[in-house]
Amino acid sequence: MNIKRVLIYSILSFAALIYLLPLVVMVITSLKDLDEIRSGTLLSMPQALNFDSWDKAWGSACTGVTCEGLKGYFWNSVLIVVPAVIISTVIGALNGYVLTKWKFRGSTLFFGMLLIGTMIPFQVVLLPMARMLGFLGLAGTTSGLIMVHIIYGLAFTTLFFRNYYISIPSELVNAARIDGAGFWMIFHRIILPLSIPIIVVSVIWQFTQIWNDFLFGVVYSSGDSQPITVALNNLVNTSTGVKEYNVDMAAAIIAALPTLFVYIVAGKYFVKGLTAGAVKG
Amino acid sequence: MHALKIQNIEKIYGKVKVLKGIDLEIQPGQFLILVGPSGCGKSTLLNMIAGLEPVSNGNIFIGDRDVTHLDPKDRDIAMVFQSYALYPNMTVRQNIEFGLTIRKTEKSEQKKIVEKVSKLLQIESLLDRKPKQLSGGQRQRVAMGRALARDPSIFLFDEPLSNLDAKLRVEMRGEIKELHQREGTTIVYVTHDQIEAMTLGDVIAVMKDGEIQQFGPPQEIYDNPRNQFIASFMGSPSMNFIPCQAEKVDGDMPTMQITLESGNEKVKVPIKQNIKGLEAYAGKSVILGIRPEQITQQGEEKPDSAMLNCDVELIEPTGPDTLVTVRINGVKTVCRIHPTAESKVDKLMPLLLDMSKVVFFDPDTQERVY
Repeated sequence: MNIKRVLIYSILSFAALIYLLPLVVMVITSLKDLDEIRSGTLLSMPQALNFDSWDKAWGSACTGVTCEGLKGYFWNSVLIVVPAVIISTVIGALNGYVLTKWKFRGSTLFFGMLLIGTMIPFQVVLLPMARMLGFLGLAGTTSGLIMVHIIYGLAFTTLFFRNYYISIPSELVNAARIDGAGFWMIFHRIILPLSIPIIVVSVIWQFTQIWNDFLFGVVYSSGDSQPITVALNNLVNTSTGVKEYNVDMAAAIIAALPTLFVYIVAGKYFVKGLTAGAVKG
Repeated sequence: MHALKIQNIEKIYGKVKVLKGIDLEIQPGQFLILVGPSGCGKSTLLNMIAGLEPVSNGNIFIGDRDVTHLDPKDRDIAMVFQSYALYPNMTVRQNIEFGLTIRKTEKSEQKKIVEKVSKLLQIESLLDRKPKQLSGGQRQRVAMGRALARDPSIFLFDEPLSNLDAKLRVEMRGEIKELHQREGTTIVYVTHDQIEAMTLGDVIAVMKDGEIQQFGPPQEIYDNPRNQFIASFMGSPSMNFIPCQAEKVDGDMPTMQITLESGNEKVKVPIKQNIKGLEAYAGKSVILGIRPEQITQQGEEKPDSAMLNCDVELIEPTGPDTLVTVRINGVKTVCRIHPTAESKVDKLMPLLLDMSKVVFFDPDTQERVY
């Protein structure tokens, strides 16, 4: 181990420490009771492991007028995320397959226009989307919100799959066509089995985006069908005299746990998938 | 009865005509080679026969069926690709069975076919491996096995050997030829390698710029190229093109002679071949086409040959023979001489030009003079 190594590792450790600090503070704070928070410093350790604030954040904290914690909203989010992720990934895969292996007149232009979709900020689509949801009779419903997430995510998932499939040789598809396979058979038997890394990328990306989304959630859903991000906001902003920092912290961690979990489980595929096809050989 | 008949096929991309009216026909059991430099349209033509590219104009018949607008799967063909295109997620066995499964061949029948094909190609021990665990040559075999399993009426090969190293390429070339002889299959084979074309083909179609330049048996194309492009493309090292002055000679036969010059020697060589068209070039320049093996060291005098002392510029021994570069009429000329013949750089060497098989081309049109 030479001096350069030592230097690199110390810088990296320092950076990691800085990045981890907020999480550490959150975890510590969530385990303290209010007296401890008031008397101690930000970084002082809790005297005992005390999960009361977690209980409260999950089951009985007030989010506006109701006081049932984040529990219900957590499941709302799951209900929104799962179908939205699955559907947008499946359609993205199909789009990518068509845009690379079954090109049609104007398919390049079509892809170019889809790319613009990845650059549109959320705020721009808010009003037109609200009009459309109203027109479709989906305003304020969970299915409406799911649809918004699918449509907004399609540009990204299509981009992922298209860029991945472009590196799969077209000769494979030609060979399968000569072998007698059709559009769906080739997709199902040849293309999909090769797509695992990019499916993981798409799922992680979409999961994170949709789970963490606040703006669409707060605009297109109401009352009991709101996602956890909106509920977290309400929970933190609802005060009954005292500011319960420990409950706020616990709630924030609960809201972030699923994305953390997904990254830990599938993170290494994420990097693999993002760089796949970038370098030949 | 033809196995494949192509009638006036055209391919047009926007304003560019990639194929300009191709006509050809082969008999069952024939091995057709489409050869030409890259961009000549040979792969496009093959893909059109396969049905992977739509036809702009013209018709394709396989047997007596018009397949011009049929899907690849309905054409009764199988294809071997340059990159082998084995399905990476399937084992060798599944790769071979894939086409059979889709065509709903019975399981027991499938098993028999896989057994037969893998025995034929000696890939029995590889059946349960994935393509990425195979070497280049093995992948090539599996790709052929997949095609053979289907027992189609025509096999299409798209530059199947170009990804292999030199030694393996020669080996596989032999195997393909052997397979063709044993099974009597009809094959259309695309390559840019003229040696593959010569060794494998029963008939060769030499293509350039979307047109067939010449269509015929390999030896015929080698000996009687129709223009300078074909002459230079077929054969390695390629034919020498020597510009020379033609003159009329008085008397009956021969009626024409050309002047060859090397070092400080100048000889007039009579043309004994009966080439009527040559008379039009009297007093003008004409291109003499002579293959390296037709210029040899001094030896037995042949009836129609000329002697010339040439200044040696370069000597390249290849083993079986030695390539000697000399300058005749100011152009570099390659000769193939016996390795034991004495030659030294910058020394004069007497060389024998066999004039009985030389050809002539027009210097402007590059067309053959008959």
